[in-house]
Amino acid sequence: MICDNIYEALVFYKDESTALEPGLAESWEISPDGKIYTFHLRKGVMFHDGTPFNANAVVFSIGRMMKNRKLKFHGQGWSVPPQERPPEYWVSMEMDDTIDSIEAADEYTVVFRLKRVEAPFLANMGMDFADIISPTAFVKNPKEFLRNPVGTGPFKFVEWIKDDRIVLAKNENYWDKSGGPYLDKVVFRAIPENSVRFLELKAGNIHICQFPNPADVPLAKKDPNLKLVSQPGMNIGYLSFNHTKRLWKNIHMRRAIAYAINRKAIVDNIYQGMGQVAKNPIPPTMWGYNDAIEDFPYDPEKAKLELAQAGYPGGKDLPEITLWSMPVPRPYNPEGLKVGVAMISDLSKVGIKARIVSYDWGTYLKRQREQPRDMDLFQLGWTGDNGDPDNFLAVLFDGLASPAIRTQWKNKEYHELMSAGKQTIDQAKRTEIYKKALQVFHDEVPAICVAHSTVVWPMRNNVMNFKLHPTASVRMKNVRLE
Amino acid sequence: MITSLTRRQQPKIPEDRHPFLDQLEQLWRNKTAVAGMIVITLFVLTGLLAPVLSPHDPVDASLYDQLKPPIWEEGGRSSNLLGTDDLGRDILSRLIYGARVSLLVALATVGIGFIFGSLLGAIAGYYKGFLDNIIMRFMDILLAFPHILLAIVIMAYLGPGLRNAMIAIGIIYIPRYARIVRASVLEEHEKDYVTASKAVGSRDWRIIFVSIFPNCLAPLIVQTSLSFASAILDAAALGFLGLGAQPPTPEWGAMIAMGRSHILRAWWVMTFPGIAILLAVLGFNLFGDGLRDALDPRLRD
Repeated sequence: MICDNIYEALVFYKDESTALEPGLAESWEISPDGKIYTFHLRKGVMFHDGTPFNANAVVFSIGRMMKNRKLKFHGQGWSVPPQERPPEYWVSMEMDDTIDSIEAADEYTVVFRLKRVEAPFLANMGMDFADIISPTAFVKNPKEFLRNPVGTGPFKFVEWIKDDRIVLAKNENYWDKSGGPYLDKVVFRAIPENSVRFLELKAGNIHICQFPNPADVPLAKKDPNLKLVSQPGMNIGYLSFNHTKRLWKNIHMRRAIAYAINRKAIVDNIYQGMGQVAKNPIPPTMWGYNDAIEDFPYDPEKAKLELAQAGYPGGKDLPEITLWSMPVPRPYNPEGLKVGVAMISDLSKVGIKARIVSYDWGTYLKRQREQPRDMDLFQLGWTGDNGDPDNFLAVLFDGLASPAIRTQWKNKEYHELMSAGKQTIDQAKRTEIYKKALQVFHDEVPAICVAHSTVVWPMRNNVMNFKLHPTASVRMKNVRLE
Repeated sequence: MITSLTRRQQPKIPEDRHPFLDQLEQLWRNKTAVAGMIVITLFVLTGLLAPVLSPHDPVDASLYDQLKPPIWEEGGRSSNLLGTDDLGRDILSRLIYGARVSLLVALATVGIGFIFGSLLGAIAGYYKGFLDNIIMRFMDILLAFPHILLAIVIMAYLGPGLRNAMIAIGIIYIPRYARIVRASVLEEHEKDYVTASKAVGSRDWRIIFVSIFPNCLAPLIVQTSLSFASAILDAAALGFLGLGAQPPTPEWGAMIAMGRSHILRAWWVMTFPGIAILLAVLGFNLFGDGLRDALDPRLRD
């Protein structure tokens, strides 16, 4: 959200889609074997601190995250400071297995050589982690750079008061003169409580309110001072299993849960209809979506049958299970605790006793990764970064690829399909691969797809040109106040 | 002395009447105490008979029936007398089961405070000296914290949950009991019956618990009744903060927290648990005050 306005990457996503358009790179070429990417950079761009943007800055920005840095600067380069550990995204996107070397061929040309064919590579270069940063500012103090970000974007960083606000100011020297920035100042306020945030909007103390309580949306519609912007989210909210426990290796148990939960009631009443029940873990707007899949219906009888087949007729001898529920609203799940309560109520109807477990968000994410014994089911979700199915299917569910994958589901067939998907360039062929993977997913039920939500944000009437992006990035560049 | 003389001259009261009966009568004549007692009785009965009384399962979510108003409002219906919450659960049933949760919390926390507090207080008061200093200074430290803050700190260590909430609140009640018992024990320790007991060669624990302790009960009983009230309140506070009973347990404080975001649309979701807390706390407080009047000779006319 903040980075979306301070930094820019080599390629941009279009305003309301994940189609690519030139960003800091004006154009690019890909070698026929798909392993060499040459970017031609935009000229006359400056970082907020006055450092000129050039090929060396790109080599520095991306290169600093590499484990084995095979970098070549043009003319006088930068000495890249060592890093303690690579950024999380860099690891989960397997970038060390992808990029072999980065070279500045001249002042405004950068060449990436890859270790393997990676179909989503170009789209990946538009993601936040691939933003280009000012080498001067970073070298000055690598540890504090996070708190003093310097990029090329339409707004520059002013101050950050933790848990209160982050202030950005207009970048007067922004390179693109065709549009914004129009606002002199942008303030991002931290207001944790959904209802309080909405009341602040109603009172006129803020202009845009993210993640309102779904139940507040009808109130916003009625308010003459407010308007709504909505976007079918490129997201998935799911419920998955602790695949390291024996109980959940049993497919009948997984199916029992899938049949037992009334997802439609959850979407109708907790998402307040702002979403749709999911049958694939990728949203229907994305290529590769497998519409042929027949969703699990809500069917308590079938759930009981599966439970009996799993060896627990009527839930007898089944220990009480835990259902981890998210403590915070996310685009893909507006109220995790409520969803959790509704789910355990459904589960108790087929004889499965469950209780809610919740932690503060940081602890939740950290402990979830450890796959602790006291976790049976967990809610999580995902908003896509780059519009590629790989960014959902591999990152979320291919447990064989890396122990960092949150769903430690290990299925060989699925893993092979994921690898094939990465290494095929032709999109028609990739579509077939992902459709097949989605069938495997449906047959094996490594997770229950709950919903794709529609993201709806209310704002004051005088806010113009604010658009929601499918990747959930928040762009203030073209926003005006009337 | 003069008052006791006049009382003795009244012919109606027999000379050898047990003081307990006297106190009971005193209590009975106190109207507010009786009112408190009635509320408490209702509260306890509700808690005990929850499965019989409640019309619905308190955790059974029925999503399509969410936020139905109470029966007297427009759109209300007879199956949910006090309406439903945001997950379509019957509020009346949740209140009834909530009484059970509150009762359990009150009993457990007061139990912890009573047992450990009395034990520590008695030891401190009886042995005096170094041991007394150690125990009571530690109690002073506990008392120095605002008590709900201390409970939150303990919860942060133990992790959220109803059982841990009971332990946390129980711990913060220990110093109150320790102080009261210590003071009484110090006073009783000097009396002749204790000396007599020592002379017969009784062991320390026998002197403390068989001879002295029963004579310290009066202030403890008052404190216990008042502690019930604050225990219910503290449990609700922790529940409200999300540290106490975890969803979907029907706990009054947690119900208020859940209902808070609907205050503008559905007042009943958080109002009824609020009233329930108010009544229960009021009942125990009234009763506690009445008890104090009856048991404390200094407060009598």
